[in-house]
Amino acid sequence: MTGNLMTKAASAQSENTPFVAIVDDDSGVRAALDSLFRSIGLETRLFGSAAELLEATLPRAPGCLILDVRLPTISGLDFQGQLAKHGIELPVVFMTGHGDIPMTVRAMKAGAVDFLSKPFRDQDMLDAVTGAIERDRRRRAESAQMKSLRAEYETLSPREREIMAHVVAGLMNKQVAGLIGLSEITVKIHRGNVMRKMGVRTLADLVRKAEALGISGP
Amino acid sequence: MAFSAVATLLALGIFLIDTLSPLEGAIAVLYVLVVLIASRTSRREDIIVAAIASIALTILAYAVSYDFNDVGSPALRAIVSLAAIGMATMLALQNQAATETLAGQARLLNLSHDMIFVRDATGVVTFWNDAAEQIYGWSAAEAKGQIADTLLGTQYPADRAAIEIELVENGRWEGTLVQRTRSGSRIVVDSRWAARRDRQGRMTGVLETHTDITERQAAQDAVQQAQAELAHAARVATLGELTASIAHEVSQPLMAIVTNGEAGMRWLRRDPPDLHEVESALGRVIAEGRRASDIVKRIRAFLKKAPSPQSELAVGTLVEEAIALVQREFMRANVQLRVDLQAGLPNVSGDRIQLQQVLVNLLVNASQAMADHPGERLLSVDASYSHDIGVEIMVRDTGPGIPEEHLRRLFDPFFTTKRDGMGMGLAICRTTAEAHGGRLSVESLPNHGATFRLALPAIEGGVLE
Repeated sequence: MTGNLMTKAASAQSENTPFVAIVDDDSGVRAALDSLFRSIGLETRLFGSAAELLEATLPRAPGCLILDVRLPTISGLDFQGQLAKHGIELPVVFMTGHGDIPMTVRAMKAGAVDFLSKPFRDQDMLDAVTGAIERDRRRRAESAQMKSLRAEYETLSPREREIMAHVVAGLMNKQVAGLIGLSEITVKIHRGNVMRKMGVRTLADLVRKAEALGISGP
Repeated sequence: MAFSAVATLLALGIFLIDTLSPLEGAIAVLYVLVVLIASRTSRREDIIVAAIASIALTILAYAVSYDFNDVGSPALRAIVSLAAIGMATMLALQNQAATETLAGQARLLNLSHDMIFVRDATGVVTFWNDAAEQIYGWSAAEAKGQIADTLLGTQYPADRAAIEIELVENGRWEGTLVQRTRSGSRIVVDSRWAARRDRQGRMTGVLETHTDITERQAAQDAVQQAQAELAHAARVATLGELTASIAHEVSQPLMAIVTNGEAGMRWLRRDPPDLHEVESALGRVIAEGRRASDIVKRIRAFLKKAPSPQSELAVGTLVEEAIALVQREFMRANVQLRVDLQAGLPNVSGDRIQLQQVLVNLLVNASQAMADHPGERLLSVDASYSHDIGVEIMVRDTGPGIPEEHLRRLFDPFFTTKRDGMGMGLAICRTTAEAHGGRLSVESLPNHGATFRLALPAIEGGVLE
């Protein structure tokens, strides 16, 4: 009974349970990391090669990738480059043997979150992974926000966008009306629609959203 | 000298009794004794002199006693005596001739530089030649009557009983023995035995001939030792080139052990502890520990200095073990490996480590040849058997190939195309192949890679599953 409940609870939760995708050609190393991450309640996905990962469907939950720098057939660094092309934006934690300092530099420049040399302490690995997951969570939240912001902006008519640009640039309704040859009343109505569609009450909020969207004057 | 005197005295005694005593008997028959005693000197002349003297004395005694007048029974007795003396002389002469022949043969045996002795079925020495006296250090008189094996502390290459069985069955045996001389030094001898049998076919003795090969053996051993040391140095150098991949190979299980241990601790500290997870983590710790120790064992075996004993080897295992040592290197060099072993390959005979070294060398060379080569990097290892060639292991790469001018010198010692190469690898490989009764050859077309063929004689009936 309890077991059932727990399974249900776990599966309901799994939608948002953070996960770690491990890519290592060594099954012994994979199994060990798998156990370590599950012991702190993370989900895991194990892959023996870069190709396996690219073929798989990854959870939508926040997560991160653990890569061995020396993967068979493709180096972890080259793989890191390929991930973006495949639309995988997960933060990467690299594992490496000794003496791979030039690689460390390259990986960091390419956007690796962390670099752990084997053998590492479990706490270091878990810290690196939770840090990476946190980063991914933020990225996901930001990108969700951005997405809704864009959707809001999409609903604006060309005229409304034009007026919004002038408004956030700090022009008064009268000045806007003069600039684009409309009556002040009409500009006021358009401006009201912009505020409603963009879901803001104050000019300050609208300016913030405009900044996020990269709009700064016409 | 003594025998002659006794014979002379005896002859005189018989003559006096024959002549002076009134006894009516064939006293002269006793001259037979004179001939027999004379024959003990082993000299033909003594026998003949004794015979002539005996006959003369018999006739003289008859003449003195009967003056040739009585042709009755005394004459008959004299004739019987003469016949007996004649026959004894004949036999004595024959015996002397046979003894002479034997003595001649024995003298020949004494001329030999080989140590020759004869022992009876129980191992007791009955003959011991001059060379045996000189080299073993015991005189013939001292050696005779001793048990040969005990005296010489003989060490046999095989079970003593098995050797005896072979001797009884074939009448001969050959082998190399280690023996001890009187001074206590050990000598290595080539030994040949021949059994001597009586008319019923029972073994009555064994003629053993021994040639001292201590020096030859020492020289051979020295060459072998030097070769083994060179091969060992080459193995160390080969593994030296693989250091990075070996370090990685060992660090993998070690890392897995540590991480499994840490994970196990975390499962244990949970409330409630997940003992099932702890158990499987510990299981993995053990498995990974074994894996690490297997890697170390494999490397240690490969680096062992002493030659391993000749043994029957499965070709598949040989190839697998060699690949296991260098597999990591293939990954590093981005080389794809394809192995194709014909089913039912016969076994081969040889030194496991040395043959492994040949394969490791070929594999590393192939991998290095392809390391900077654009395009396909495929390393194929095929093993097949044919009646003419035996077992053939083929190592083929898709590298740049070997230029014509290098091809001819490839197996020469100190020839190398590697910047920090010793130039001994392939030379040792070929020596090893030939020492195993096989061959190592290469063929290559520029831009079409290289193919090395290691051919080894198959063991009759030794077939891998």
